[in-house]
Amino acid sequence: MEVLKINGKEKQFPDGIPKTLVELLKLLDINQATVVAEVNGKIIERQNFSQTQLRNGQKIELVRFVGGG
Amino acid sequence: MSKLIIAGREFHSRLLIGTGKFASCELMAEAIERSGTEIVTVALRRVDIENENDDILSAIDRNHYLLLPNTSGARDADEAVRLAKLARAATGINWLKLEVTPDPYYLLPDPVETLKAAEILVKDNFVVLPYINADPILAKKLEDAGTATVMPLASPIGSNQGLKTRAALEIIIEQANVPVVVDAGLGLPSHAADAMEIGADAVLVNTAIATAADPPEMAEAFKLAVEAGRMAFESGMPSISKRASASSPLTGFLRET
Repeated sequence: MEVLKINGKEKQFPDGIPKTLVELLKLLDINQATVVAEVNGKIIERQNFSQTQLRNGQKIELVRFVGGG
Repeated sequence: MSKLIIAGREFHSRLLIGTGKFASCELMAEAIERSGTEIVTVALRRVDIENENDDILSAIDRNHYLLLPNTSGARDADEAVRLAKLARAATGINWLKLEVTPDPYYLLPDPVETLKAAEILVKDNFVVLPYINADPILAKKLEDAGTATVMPLASPIGSNQGLKTRAALEIIIEQANVPVVVDAGLGLPSHAADAMEIGADAVLVNTAIATAADPPEMAEAFKLAVEAGRMAFESGMPSISKRASASSPLTGFLRET
């Protein structure tokens, strides 16, 4: 079973992991314009989401802005 | 009232607004507008991949307001630097409110880690606005490290206690060559006016506005208080004396010699 560790939690993908970051965001129903991502600790600029290939077992962080002081 | 200049950028408003704790994005947007602010802070958090997420940025017009991401949640310099880089990737701007608060009870900032993170971030071309305890020596060290402001606390975040650190704030203001933004603990417009009257360049307010029964009305109250306090400061403050000093002439009374 292929997995990704997304925001600290392991998520299983029975049909294989999405090929790119953009495909992952689509699958999770997340608007890519509102998030910023890290793959294995490396920040991915938004314009590079579609070229960022994902591999089994990678650690993905998806963060966004919220209210704060 | 003179303009506030931070890192070469001019602002008409001396009130910075935090966006936490508002009941809705609509109330937040209205409060921001009524406050007259030009700088609003936001935080970075993990996306909840199981539930729908509000998009706070859609409620903030970035043509009107400078977005100032904070590093809240960072417990040390490394975490703060990581958050700073994520924020810059997300916004495309390099302004940052640096906060490193390892203590969850009082949320007091860690001076050692804050200075360490500031040095790294300034070298990486960030415009750094560090949240600090009201420590005049630390404020000087941060200024020397190249931060754009210092942001000493009035009292613990969200505590609404007002200017508990007054004596130290006065020393920081006296010595600083960068703008001093009094941040945290300002619970009432009078607290904000108080900070401005002692010569703070600006204040940052969040909880007192966001948790008011009518946040937009409170936002405007803070706007007026900040303006009043600054105008008083720029007018030259009167001296304090122990004894009375008559305002009316002491001659020509209607009585016999």
